[in-house]
Amino acid sequence: MPLDLVNMLSWWQWLILAAVPPAILALYFLKLKRRPLEVPSTYLWRRSIEDLHVNTIWQRLRRNLLLFLQLLLLLLIMLAVLRPGVKGSKLVGNRFVFLIDNSASMQATDLGESRLEAAKEAARNTIERMQPGDVAMVVSFSDVAEVEREFTGNRGQLVESVEQIAPSARATSLVEAIKLASGLANPGRSANDDTDVQVAEPKPATLYIFSDGKFADPAAPLGNLEPVYQPIGADAASNVGIAVLNVRRNESRPDQLQAFARLENYSQAEADVALELWLDDDMIDAARYQIPPGESQGFQQDLGPLQSGSLRLVIAKAKFLHEDGSVSDDQLAVDNQAWTVIRKNRPANLLLVTPGCEAIRFALTTEAARQLANVTIEPPEVLNKGGDYAQKAASGAYDLIIYDRCRPREMPQANTFFVGALPPVSFDLPPDREGGESKKVELWRARPEVAGPRIIDVDAAHPLTGWLDLDDVLIAKARPLEVPAGGAVLIDSHLGPLMAIAPRGGLEDLVLAFSFVEEETGDDGAVRRFAATNWPIRTSFPVFMLNLLNYFGGGQAGLDTLSVQPGRQVSLQSPAPGEPLQVLAPSGRKVEVPVGDLGRANFGETDELGVYEVRSRGAAVDFFSVNLFDPTESNIAVRQQIQLGHVPVEGRAAGWESARKEFWKAILLAGFGILLLEWWVYHRRVYI
Amino acid sequence: MPPQTSAADLLSAELLAKLERMELVSRKIFRGRMKGERRSRRKGQSVEFADFRNYVPGDDLRFIDWNTYARLDRLFLKMFMEEEDLHFYALIDTSPSMDFGEPTKFHYARQLAAALGFIGLVRGDRVKVLPIGESAGRAAPVLRGRHQLWRMLEYLSGLEPGETFTLADAAKSFCLRNSGKGILVLITDLMDKSGYEAALRYLLAQDFDIYLIHLLSAEEYEPEVQGDLRLIDCEDGDVTEVTVTAPLLKRYKQTLHAFIEAARDFCSRRGILYFPARNDLPVERLISGYLRERGLVR
Repeated sequence: MPLDLVNMLSWWQWLILAAVPPAILALYFLKLKRRPLEVPSTYLWRRSIEDLHVNTIWQRLRRNLLLFLQLLLLLLIMLAVLRPGVKGSKLVGNRFVFLIDNSASMQATDLGESRLEAAKEAARNTIERMQPGDVAMVVSFSDVAEVEREFTGNRGQLVESVEQIAPSARATSLVEAIKLASGLANPGRSANDDTDVQVAEPKPATLYIFSDGKFADPAAPLGNLEPVYQPIGADAASNVGIAVLNVRRNESRPDQLQAFARLENYSQAEADVALELWLDDDMIDAARYQIPPGESQGFQQDLGPLQSGSLRLVIAKAKFLHEDGSVSDDQLAVDNQAWTVIRKNRPANLLLVTPGCEAIRFALTTEAARQLANVTIEPPEVLNKGGDYAQKAASGAYDLIIYDRCRPREMPQANTFFVGALPPVSFDLPPDREGGESKKVELWRARPEVAGPRIIDVDAAHPLTGWLDLDDVLIAKARPLEVPAGGAVLIDSHLGPLMAIAPRGGLEDLVLAFSFVEEETGDDGAVRRFAATNWPIRTSFPVFMLNLLNYFGGGQAGLDTLSVQPGRQVSLQSPAPGEPLQVLAPSGRKVEVPVGDLGRANFGETDELGVYEVRSRGAAVDFFSVNLFDPTESNIAVRQQIQLGHVPVEGRAAGWESARKEFWKAILLAGFGILLLEWWVYHRRVYI
Repeated sequence: MPPQTSAADLLSAELLAKLERMELVSRKIFRGRMKGERRSRRKGQSVEFADFRNYVPGDDLRFIDWNTYARLDRLFLKMFMEEEDLHFYALIDTSPSMDFGEPTKFHYARQLAAALGFIGLVRGDRVKVLPIGESAGRAAPVLRGRHQLWRMLEYLSGLEPGETFTLADAAKSFCLRNSGKGILVLITDLMDKSGYEAALRYLLAQDFDIYLIHLLSAEEYEPEVQGDLRLIDCEDGDVTEVTVTAPLLKRYKQTLHAFIEAARDFCSRRGILYFPARNDLPVERLISGYLRERGLVR
């Protein structure tokens, strides 16, 4: 930074100042009139100073040390009067919010140390440029934002809170951070409610974002925040990451498992990757791939008939061969490992209450269905008997109960599927007029029976009805449903909804408006059964039944383990409702998770990457893994421009306005020091 | 210039009493001009018997030992110890540089010369106390005998410092006038910019038994000066500008020490006995202590 000067004196003042050095010189020579003293002989004195005269100039300099100190002092005073300063050191404004990104991509080491350290360094540099009276706050953000320090003018505290920001493996979202910043920057404006009345004058603040820009541009309005974006990281970064890892059954041999993974090369150079696959503590495969720049590479490994185990895929080594011949290493470590856990199948408990329906029974006794569910079949009479059924239904022992053409007196603590019947769910309607009686209203109602409804729409987005082709399904008769509020129609006909689903507490009820089998008692008293629809003999029927098992019973019992991204919530099912679960993190940390009435629990402390073990009463009951699997974070090339609330913000290295930083105080202090030194020299006579 | 010194100032009565018991010692044997109180290696006339020798014709018959002749019937000559006098010179530096100090180095030198001269007078030596210099030494009296003390003291009182000369020239001039035998005590501060070595060499060439009393004032040993000074040499008016500081004073003392050591070294190599002296040490202590220890007097 170039030094520039500001003239503080007029010409005649300079003239007076310029007259001082000659005056000092004159005084110095006057002072040099030495006191004459007669001595017996100058012989010894002469010999004493004889060798000092050998280097006369130096001796003169030494003897004139006081003079030089005085002249130096004067020079410093003159320099101080000139007010020397350098440009560009004051921050814009006087209220600052420092947003520091600590997401996974900030762990990249393309700047030598990690980007987070570089961001902290940049933040420290910016804090050091704060003027007295400026206030600032420090916020760290990944997919959540955290206030590290409220508004303060204490630079030491700010720097300390910057230092305390720890890296995380989370994804990045700026929205929450900006909402937080604008809420805290503008007193009287709530961080959460945009309609909140402003009670105080909004104070503009400058928003410093230290990030690599690996986030979706937020649309949140900035209010009176003036954004300054300082990109942290190199433009061209070398990283290869694991984008996906999962385990599936072999299509042709269901007892065999296969691991699939995908590697992505996010750099501009060809990557030479050494891959290792570990099962528990044994390496079961190693592979080496050359991945062209920007492309991906699949990985497949047969695992055999595994029952359980923890799979770990590791990029052991990655070299990037750049076009100019240079070689670089992988710069982001967090996406070089991925975990998945093969869990033992927990078949769903399924109860089929039916007077007899071959179609459903056949569908539930296929090979695929048997792996997914333990099916119990009971006649409708059990509904009225109480006993074992009533106890199990009330305690949530079943995952799914299918009521075929029958209905229980009370709804069970289980998901239900009603075929040709309506769930007995009712609520009390307040009376129309005062003193009148309240009416009991059924939640599920059906319209009058219609004949030959044609299916016109299937909800392909719902897991139950995905992949269903019902065009060739004919239905003899049905009672179209009145779908309760909160419910969704899954199959619609030109005469009304034929299948709908609605929530009930934490459970769901699925209702089919027709039955597969109709019974008629003939004139001779014999019961005749005939098919009411051709759906059971269509391909879509077993598919639907499998969807049903997967959705209600087998969601948890699927083969692949649950894998979530860091920081996301995991829904856990406890085998013992009411008893807390323990979650053992990869680092060995234990977390107690309370469990609700239905045995469900939510666990959110998934910051660490790796395999988490879920325990109940000391025994491992479940596993899940936390993997980055985030292409936005893995693609670590820095964005130089971000968009904040439709305003493009260019990244710039220095976020401070050109302002003078003056040194005159320091110069005057130095002058004072020289004055003291001169005094000391004069009194001690340190030189010859 | 010090006030006219009376003779009594030079030697106190107590000192005289002490000095009376002392005697000048010469490391060399000199042939005196007159019969003195000092035994000589030469055989001669005295009451103290020394030896016999055979008579040869021409010998003084008065010294023939007749008793031996009677016993042995041979002529033997009786020989006696000869008693001789000693030549003693005390040379006082009268250059202006001697006129410094409290008491002045010059006064101190006169006291010292008077004391030593008195010892010589008491012992019947031939004493000559004289200022060293071109002209001053001419009128110096030759003294012998205790009764000459007052004459010596008067002469010393009349001396004044102030003549500027080089030691070498003065020594040369002295040697031309005085024969080279006897004890010579040179009292000087050796402050001669042209060096003292030449002067001492002249004296040595005359075969004197030389004692050098190097007299410096206390101010010269430990100068109590400070500040920026113009030092003016009282002899040649030479000006030296110094800024007296602690390091310079240290350096001065180193130079002085080297100067003294050089003089001592020069003297001891050439058989000159060297005595450093300072003007704040009383004369009697110098003589009865230091000079006695080193063998000038006993």
